[in-house]
Amino acid sequence: MVAIGPHDVPPSHRTPVELRHHADWFLLLLKIRARSTLSNKTVVSELDIPSSRTDTSFIPRLRTYVQHLGSYSIDFTLETGKMFIFLAQTLRAVPTPPWRWHNLLKQIHFIGMRSMFVIALTSIFAGMVLALQGFYTLSRFGSEALLGPAVALSMIRELGPVLSGLMITGRAGSAVAAELGIMRIREQIDALEVMGVPPIHFLAVPRFLAGLIVLPLLTVIFDVIGIFGGYLVAVQLLGLSAGTYFGGIESAVSMHDIHTGLIKAFCFGMIITWVCSFKGFFAKRGAEGVSHATTSAVVLASVLILVSDYFITAIML
Amino acid sequence: MSTPSQPSTVITAPGHNHGPLGQRLLAAGYINEQQLNEALAAQSTVDPNEINHLIGRTLVSLGHLTPSLLRQALVELFTEECRNDCGLSGVPPILSMKGVEKQLDGRMVLNGVDLEIPEHRITAIIGISGGGKSVTLKHLVGLMRPDRGTIMVKGKNLYALSVAELQRVRRHISLLFQGGALFDSLNVFDNIAFPLRETTQTSEAEIHQRVMRALDEVNLAGMEYKFPDELSGGMNKRAALARALITRPEIILLDEPTAGLDPIIENAIHHLICDTFMRTRTTMVIISHAIPAIFNWCHHVIVLHRGKVRASGSTPAIRESQDPVIRQFIDGDVDGPVDIL
Ligand SMILES: Nc1ncnc2c1ncn2[C@@H]1O[C@H](COP(=O)(O)OP(=O)(O)O)[C@@H](O)[C@H]1O
Ligand SMILES: [Mg+2]
Repeated sequence: MVAIGPHDVPPSHRTPVELRHHADWFLLLLKIRARSTLSNKTVVSELDIPSSRTDTSFIPRLRTYVQHLGSYSIDFTLETGKMFIFLAQTLRAVPTPPWRWHNLLKQIHFIGMRSMFVIALTSIFAGMVLALQGFYTLSRFGSEALLGPAVALSMIRELGPVLSGLMITGRAGSAVAAELGIMRIREQIDALEVMGVPPIHFLAVPRFLAGLIVLPLLTVIFDVIGIFGGYLVAVQLLGLSAGTYFGGIESAVSMHDIHTGLIKAFCFGMIITWVCSFKGFFAKRGAEGVSHATTSAVVLASVLILVSDYFITAIML
Repeated sequence: MSTPSQPSTVITAPGHNHGPLGQRLLAAGYINEQQLNEALAAQSTVDPNEINHLIGRTLVSLGHLTPSLLRQALVELFTEECRNDCGLSGVPPILSMKGVEKQLDGRMVLNGVDLEIPEHRITAIIGISGGGKSVTLKHLVGLMRPDRGTIMVKGKNLYALSVAELQRVRRHISLLFQGGALFDSLNVFDNIAFPLRETTQTSEAEIHQRVMRALDEVNLAGMEYKFPDELSGGMNKRAALARALITRPEIILLDEPTAGLDPIIENAIHHLICDTFMRTRTTMVIISHAIPAIFNWCHHVIVLHRGKVRASGSTPAIRESQDPVIRQFIDGDVDGPVDIL
C-alpha cells in the first residue's frame, strides 16, 4: 500500500546533511513522524477497503480522524521548520565567497528578462480594465476626474507587486521548482554535494538574489505600463482629457505609496525564489515527485504572496 | 625489480616496490632502457607524479608502444601485481563502516554492514541488484545518514565532522553515480571541468589541457560541446567517469561504471581504471556486475547480500569460496539460495 499525499513527505535521508547541524530537535520530530507514518499506512489501507472492513462505530472513526489530524500537524510543522532552516541557510550563504556573478546574471536573465513579455501583456490589460471599471464606478458619483489617481494608486500600491508576483510565480517560480526538482531526482544535487560544492550556495543563492533584484524592477515596469493602459482606455476610449488623467496622478501619488509597492515587490521576490527553490530541492523521486513539487511550489508561493500582502499593507498603511 | 633512477614521490603502496610506471614497463620488457630515457627526456615537467602520469602517452607518441599494447601491458602488469598481492592483512583501511543500519521506505536496506576498504587497492562490491550497493556507497560519502552505526573516512568519523570539514574530506573523494548525474545545463566540457573550476585553483589553460586528455581517455574526443541529453547512455556514463577522475582524488568510488555499455567500451573502461590505478595508486571502490572480468584485476572483493556483508576478502579467496551464495553470483546460476526479486 502506497501512502497518499502529504503522508508521502520526503524520506528522512533526503534531508541534506547540513540540516542536522542546525537543529537537533528536528531529528526528534522526524522520528515522531516516522512513527506516525507507519500507523498512518494501516489507517489508509483500512479506508481503502470499505465494503468488508469499514467500522462505522464512532470511536474508531474518531481515532482515525485524530490520527490524521496529528499526522498532518506534524507534517506541517516539519515542512515549515525545514523551510525556515532552508531560508536561514540561504541567507547565511549569501555573503559567503566565491561569488558566482555568472550564475546570478543567468538567473536575472531567466527570471527577469524572459518574463518581460508576460508582464507587459498582463499589466496593460490590468490597467485597461481598472480604468474601465473605475470610470463606471466613479461616473456614478460624478468624480471621473479621480480616475487617474484611482488607477495609479491601485497599480502602484497593490496590483503592480501582487500581479507581477503571481505572474513570476507562474512563469519563473514553477520553472525553478521543476529544474531543481529534476536536478534532485537525477542526483545532480547529490553530485554537487559530493564534489564539495555546497548546493545551496551554488543553486539557491543566485536564484534568491535574482528574485530580490528582479521583482521590484518588473513591478516598476508593470506600474508604468498599467498606468499607460489606463490612459488608453480613459483618454482614448472614454474621452477623459489627458491633463486630468495625468495631473491627478501626479498630485495624488506620494513617495510613500511607491515605497510600499516596492517593499511588497521585494518581499514577494524573496517568497517566490525561497519557496520554489525549497520545493525543488526536496522533490521526491520520479516524475511525479517533480510535478508535485512544482504544483505545490506555485500554490504555496501564490498563497504566501496574498497573505503577506495583507500584512505588509496593514503595517505600511 | 629495478629501482627508480630518479627521486620519486609517486605513491607506492606497502608491498609494492615496482617503482614508477616507466620502470615497470622496462622491467617487464615492453620497452628498452634507451626508449625510456628518451621518453623521460621528452617530459616538459619535473614533477615525478606528472611524469608518471604522462610517460605512457609519451612512449606512445614517440612510437615505442602502440596504444593497445600500452593498455595490454598495463593490464598484464596489474593483473600480475594483483596475484602477488593477495595478502591484504597489512593494508590499513581508508574507509570503513561498522554496524551500519539503514531503513528506507520501511524496509531495512542495510542491516548491520561492516566493511573495510583497503588503501591503495581496488575493491569490488558485488551483490544482487537492489541489494543496497548504491546505498552503501552513498553512506560512504555522507549523502545518506545511517540510522545506526559508524562510518570512518581516513580515521575520522564522517558524521562527527562539521560542514566545512566534511566538504574538505569530500574534495578528496569522487563518486561516479549510477546514473551519471551530469549537469543538464552544462556541455560535456564544462561538466568535466566543473570540479576543477569549483574546487581548485587550476588555470583555464591547464583545465583545457586536462579535460581534453580526459575526454581522449574515455574515447569522447570531439564530443566536448555536446550536452548530456544529446549523448547516449554509455557516452553519458563515460563523461561522468571522466569528471570523477579529473581531480585526481585520493579515493574514487565507481557505481556500475560499465553497466549498459557494449563489451568493447566495457573493456576500454576497465583498461582506463587499471591504467589510472597503475599511475596513481588511488584507492578505488567499484560496484560492478562484470564478474569474471573484474576478478582479473581487483585486489579485494566484498559480497553484499541481504543488507549484510556476506563475505569480504582477497579476490582469489572469494573466487575459490564454496559459499553457495557467492558461488551463485560468480557462476550466475538462476537456481540457488539467492532470491531473485
Ligand atoms: N532514496 C531512496 N529512497 C527509498 N528507497 C531507496 C532509495 N534508494 C534506494 N532505495 C531502496 O534501497 C534498495 C537498494 O537500492 P540500491 O542501493 O540502489 O541497490 P543496488 O544494490 O542495485 O545499487 C532498493 O530496494 C531501493 O528501492
Ligand atoms: Mg545501484
